[in-house]
Order: sequence, then C-alpha cells, then structure tokens
Amino acid sequence: MRKYLAQRLLIAIPTLFGVTLLIFIAMRVLPGDPLSAISGEGAGMYVLSKEQLQAARASLGLDRPYVLQYLDWLQDVVRGDLGKSFWRGEPIRELIVRRAPITGQIALMAVVLSWVIGLPVGVIGAVWRNSRTDYVFRLVVTLFMAIPSFWVALMIVLSLVLTLTWRPPLTIAYLWDDPVRNLQMTAGPALALGLALAAMMARITRSSVLEVLGEDFVRTARAKGLREAVVVRRHALVNAMLPIMTVTGTALGALLGGSVAVERAFGVPGLGLALVFAVAERDWMLIQNLVLLYGVIFVLINLVVDVSYGWFDPRIRYQ
Amino acid sequence: MDQPRLVGNVNRRRFLKTTAGAAVAAWSLKGAARARAAARSDRARAAEPNPKRGGVLKWAGPAEVAHFDVHQGAFRFVLGQMYNNLVRFNPADGLKTIIPDLAESWKVSSDGKTYTFKLRDGVKFHDGTPFSSADVVATFSRIVFPPAGMASIYKDQFSAVAKLEAIDRLNVRFILKEPQPYFLELFTPSSMIIYSKKALDENNQDLRKVIAPGTGAFMFKERKVAEKWVMVRNPNYWDPEIPYLDGIELLHIPAWTDRGTAVLTGQADYSPNVSLETHQEGIRRKDIVGTVRYPGEFNSYQVHINNERKPFNDPRVRRAINLAVSRQNLIKAFGTQEPIMLTRWMTHASEFATPLKELEALPAYRADKSADLAEAKKLMAAAGVADGIKNVDFVSASVAPHAEILAPAFQDELRRTLGIETKIRVMERALLIEELKKGTFDMMVQTEYRSPIGDPGPGWEMCLKTGGSLNFSRYSNPEFDKLLKQINSERDKGKRKQLFAQGMALLDQTAPLYLIGFTDHLPMWRNTVKGHNSEARVFSELGRVDTFWLDR
Repeated sequence: MRKYLAQRLLIAIPTLFGVTLLIFIAMRVLPGDPLSAISGEGAGMYVLSKEQLQAARASLGLDRPYVLQYLDWLQDVVRGDLGKSFWRGEPIRELIVRRAPITGQIALMAVVLSWVIGLPVGVIGAVWRNSRTDYVFRLVVTLFMAIPSFWVALMIVLSLVLTLTWRPPLTIAYLWDDPVRNLQMTAGPALALGLALAAMMARITRSSVLEVLGEDFVRTARAKGLREAVVVRRHALVNAMLPIMTVTGTALGALLGGSVAVERAFGVPGLGLALVFAVAERDWMLIQNLVLLYGVIFVLINLVVDVSYGWFDPRIRYQ
Repeated sequence: MDQPRLVGNVNRRRFLKTTAGAAVAAWSLKGAARARAAARSDRARAAEPNPKRGGVLKWAGPAEVAHFDVHQGAFRFVLGQMYNNLVRFNPADGLKTIIPDLAESWKVSSDGKTYTFKLRDGVKFHDGTPFSSADVVATFSRIVFPPAGMASIYKDQFSAVAKLEAIDRLNVRFILKEPQPYFLELFTPSSMIIYSKKALDENNQDLRKVIAPGTGAFMFKERKVAEKWVMVRNPNYWDPEIPYLDGIELLHIPAWTDRGTAVLTGQADYSPNVSLETHQEGIRRKDIVGTVRYPGEFNSYQVHINNERKPFNDPRVRRAINLAVSRQNLIKAFGTQEPIMLTRWMTHASEFATPLKELEALPAYRADKSADLAEAKKLMAAAGVADGIKNVDFVSASVAPHAEILAPAFQDELRRTLGIETKIRVMERALLIEELKKGTFDMMVQTEYRSPIGDPGPGWEMCLKTGGSLNFSRYSNPEFDKLLKQINSERDKGKRKQLFAQGMALLDQTAPLYLIGFTDHLPMWRNTVKGHNSEARVFSELGRVDTFWLDR
C-alpha cells in the first residue's frame, strides 16, 4: 500500500508540472496582461501612456523573459511563497486561507447532502424498480439533473428576498467564529449544488445497485435466507459503491475548484469567484496559483478515491 | 468668501432661564448649538435638523482598490472617506453648491487667473502632523507636475495651471495660464484629496503601497481584501459637529443586484447605486427603504465610430448614422438593464444641456424617424455609399448588456435603416483599451464618454478635442477645437451657454460618435439612514458619508 501511495504521488509530480506549464503558457498566449486590465476601460478617467505602462510592467517583473518568469514562479511555489495578487497586492496564500474554508465547506456540505438524498433515493428506486415510487423518483431526478444549479440558487435568493426580506450574508463568517451566520451563508449554496449532485448520485446509485442485485452472490445471499434489507445493505450497496465513490470524488474536486455560478448567485466570496475576477483582471499570478491549487486538489482526491476502492472491495489490492 | 461666525447666544440665555435643571440645560444647550450649526450653509451638515449621533453605517458598493494612491488611480470613493479636499459640494443641498472644506475661504482675481485659498488653521492629519499650505502644494505639485515614474491620472484636468505656491503657512495660490470657468469645481471630486507632504516625502512620492494618513472625518481601522473596509470616527476631527456616525463599514459588493438586496434585507444601510430591478422592488417597499433616480454624469453609453477609417472619415456617413439609428429604440432595448436618458453631447444633468422637450423635437433625437431617415439616405448617397456598407468591424465588450443587448440592437438598426452590415467582434472588457488606443476597429460600444466634473467642458476636452486622452473616435475638427477653447475660458455663464449650444450644433453636424445617452443613478437606503439628501441630488459624485446619520 505504501509503495502504491508513493508511486501515485510520484506520478502526480509530472502531472502537476504539466498543469503549471499549461496554465503559464495559456495566460501568456491570451491577449492582455494585468496592466492592460488595470489601465483598461472602466478603470477611470485616464489612459496610461506606453511609457507608463512599460514602467509599471517592469515594476511587476512582467518585462522579463517568459522562461525566467516561469522558473521564478516554480521556485517560489516550491518554497511555499505563492506571491501576491497583481491587482490587489494581497498575498495569495492569505487569499486562499481566507476563502478556501468557505468554498471547501460548501463543497463538503453539498456532497454530504447529495449522499443523504441521493443514496436512499437510488437504492429505493433500484429495489422497487418500475414501481410508482421509482417513476416519481426518476422524474424528480431527471428534473434536478436538467435544472442548472445557478438557476436553483437564483430562485432561492429571490424567494428569500421577496417573501422573507432576508438574504444570506455577503461577508465571510467562519464556522468557528459565528456558526449561525456561517450556516446562513453556506446552506443555500450547498443546497443548490447538493440537489443537482444528489440527482446524479441517485441515478448512479440506482443503476449500480440494480446491476449488483442481478449478481450471483446476491442470489446466494437471498438463498441463505437473509432479509432483503440486509442483502441490499451488506451485499448490494457496498459492492455498488465504486462508481458512487468515483462520482463523489470528481464532484468534490469540481466543487472545490469553484462552484462559480452558485457563488456568484449567492454573492459568496469564495475561491471560485476569486478565480473569475482574476481571469477578468488578467491577474496572472493569482490564476496560476489557484489553478495549481485545483490541480493538487484533484490529484489528492483521485488518490483518496482510488484508495477507497480497496476498502469497499477487498478484492482490489494495491501493489 | 469669509467664514460666518456663530451669532450671539441670546437663545441660549433664554433657554437656560426656562430650564429646570442643570443636566437638562446642558443637554439642551448642546442640541441648540447643533441646530444652529446645521443651519450654516458653509460647512457640511446633514440637511435634517437635530441629527442623532452614533452607530456604524454599512455602505454597499464597489469597495476594492488596486492600490492606495488616489492620484494614481486608486478607487476614490473608499479612500476619500479618510481625507478632505480644499472645497467640496454641499451635501445639504444635494451637492449643488461649493462650500469650504480644508480651504476656509478663497478669492479669485479679476482676470480669473489667480485662485488664492485661505486654509483652515488647527487641522491635523490622523498621525498628528499639522496641516499647512506645504501639504496642498505637495499634493497638487505631484498631480500637475508629476515626478518621473508617477502616473498622474488627473494631470490633464489641471493643464491650465502654470504655477502653484504657498504664500505663507495658511495661504496657497494657483496661477492659471488662462481663466477656466470650472476651475474651482475641479477641486470638488473625492479624488482631489489632500495628502500630507510628510507622507509623500517619506514614501518617495508614491503612495500606492501605503494608506497615508488623512485629515478626514474617518480613520482607517481594518481592510479585508475584496470584502470590506472598516473606518472609525476621527475623535480629533477639525469640525466638531461631524461625523455623526461612530464608524463606517464599506462592504465590497460588486454586483448591483446584490447591493440592492443587501439594502432591502438590512445587511447594508446604504448603496450609491443598485440594479434597476432592486430599485423597482425598493419603490414597492417604502416601509423599509428609500430609493430615487437622479441623473449622473459619470456613466454613459456610446458607439465610437472610427473617424480615421473609410467611409466613416466622411462626416456625412457619421451624421447619417446619428440621424437614422433610433435612440429611443436603443434606450428601450436596454431598459431592463440600466435607465439610459436621452441627451445631446453632455449629461442630461448639466445646466448647459438641451431641455428634454426641445431635444425630443430635434432631428436625430426625435422619436419619429421618417424625416431623419430620408435625410440620412440622402447623406449616404452623397457620400457614395447609397447601397450601404459591408463588413463593418463592430467591437463590443463580452459583458452581457453590451454584447447581447446594445451591440445587436445597434447592429439591427444600422442594417434596417441604412443597409450597413456589421460583424460584432466580442472581446473581454479589459482588452478594449488596447483596441481603442490602436484604433483597430470601425465601431465600438463603450462607456467612457464623460466629464470628470459636472461641467461638460473638461469632458469635451478629453473626449472630443483633437488628441484628447479619451478621444477614442479620433475626432479632429479645428473649428470645434477653437470653439472649445472659447467655451472653456468664457466666464460669463450666459455666453458660455450660447457657446455650448453652438458646440452641440457643430457636433450634430459632424457627428464624432453616436452617443446613446447618460444613465441615471439609483441609490437605495434603509429608512433609518439620513443626511445623504439623495432626493435632491442632481449628479453622481458619490461623495463622503460624513453627514450621514442613523435614526435608530
């Protein structure tokens, strides 16, 4: 197992290296740089001269050869120094520390919600296949898979404002500082994201459980006289967990990477929103480091998911 | 303009005679003094009598800055709360008249070329440094004659200044190359704050990385990047009457709808500009919030027409476009986004603007297009493009209101009326400036036609004069430049109005660009917020909140 983990982590290094190279090149290939954004339309009543722009670019180190810029960045990252936002001058590490807990909490709550709703709905649909309950569940699942999360988010905000004259907080409140405000802030986005994810989870669970229920070992379990609930829980569901874990891992990675539209709808100052503004502002340093962070998150989550396969299915051994 | 003194204390004596106890007397005395102070017109005061003290105002708006140097472009409405100007607009009359700020009084020479400001004595910066004429000279020298490496973004506005000097500790003189009727107004925007010479010297004339101490009513306490600024009352403020608030929290809420819902739900007390739909909801919720529309001069929508590219270098083509395309249709199409108001070459809020009734009867501005269209087609034929124009490069920012509403609406109008076929090229907003500077477009939807102050004069200098810093249409007309010079040096308001009218007529004929109109501002506030006088405002300088108070 240790060897497997070490191998996977070693493989992650070239993957992350590739991520850094791709995002660095992508930002340089795209037209515009942080200075053009700062001096751009809407910035004020002025236009910086070419000389002023050149001086400002030099002050940010943007006039150096790309190779040097890239190597310096990698060196800083290895040292743990993520640099500063070009636009706001804020250390990127501080930005991540401030915003990541909110985005992470929303992602985790959404995943938990998707399990709490999606797994029972999927299992019931599979066990009572083609029953009236199954049809109703399938209808609801299809509906929530079709409706975009940001629309659900907008509806939640709108209905709260119009009916209760209330809306979730717009400034950050951490769970450990102010649990009530924190839950007011995160519950809505988690619900909007969790419902769509729950629909997907229910669908995957239903098809996986259905497949497993047709297996020989399930027939054997039934033949031994086990109760149907035990058959489903101990034999079918556990063996159906592999695709559910894969979906969970991918979804968690995507949500941690920024549920941008939902964050935008609720006005939650999370990482996703930071990345959107960074792209608009051509804040290269922030974009590079956030994308690298997402790369690391995805690699780690995939690793955890792979390792979890062995826990759910003892036949899987890592060598 | 000298400072009036408090008149007598007769009321105080009378009042004391009739009070029963010393404690009550003391309390009431304070109230009476405040009521008198509020009535004085030369100091910033809440319009309402007997404002309450205390509380923290939560302000919702764009509260983020790229750096801290306002004169190098930092967002002024946030930082401006901590500083003073030389003069300011009066909050009590809806920002209509100029009143003293750090300048106690001022004198203008008979030829209009020398402005002498007498400064307030006893003012201190937040770090305890005494304020003097040296600070004013250091501040404006840096703006007008910037040191190497400094991007003085307001330099052009003060191009008429030949010299500025300290006469003594409390007197400063600005000498102009030529008279400028709006010169005093140039000191009123919240960008024209006074920095301390000490802070400038200590930081090598560059304040981008430091929050320099101000003299203002509020002092810096905390900044949470991209979230909020927290400021507290300056206990040693030179005007003991204000601020009424104990502090302010400036919440960074970039989306207009979020600002509106924040006020509606009580998460914020005031926002200078909310979205149209939340403004409309606010009108229905008069029990909890107030909201109005007032005209602004900062935000406009226009289509730049590249005057250097064929066939748009022919004024007849540009005039034809201005005649044929219906402003009413564009304004209606954009109505769900922002309230654009019909106007002619300057904000509709300006005293020099053509009155709406008159405007609605003018060619190119009237709703009935039949005569205008016939004239436009004649002009197109005379310019040799009677069959229309193909493959016109029409650039728009990728933001939805531009790319999905205004640009397609304008495109449709051009195609239907004059047979001009455009191809919309959508690009990110941040990149438009490069296109504008290079002039690599035929047409572009844009929002930067405006004036830095209420007076349209400096706006025309920047946007329409040959080589103007924001003249993105590349309009060049010696006749107009000559007229503009006259407009911006004429001190008689009546004559100036006539000159502006001539200028607008000239612009109508030569049509440098297509101005759709200026937007109205939509502030919203909780009913407990007083002292802003938004109902009386006529233009969009958001201003300071030192006269705001909370009726809780």
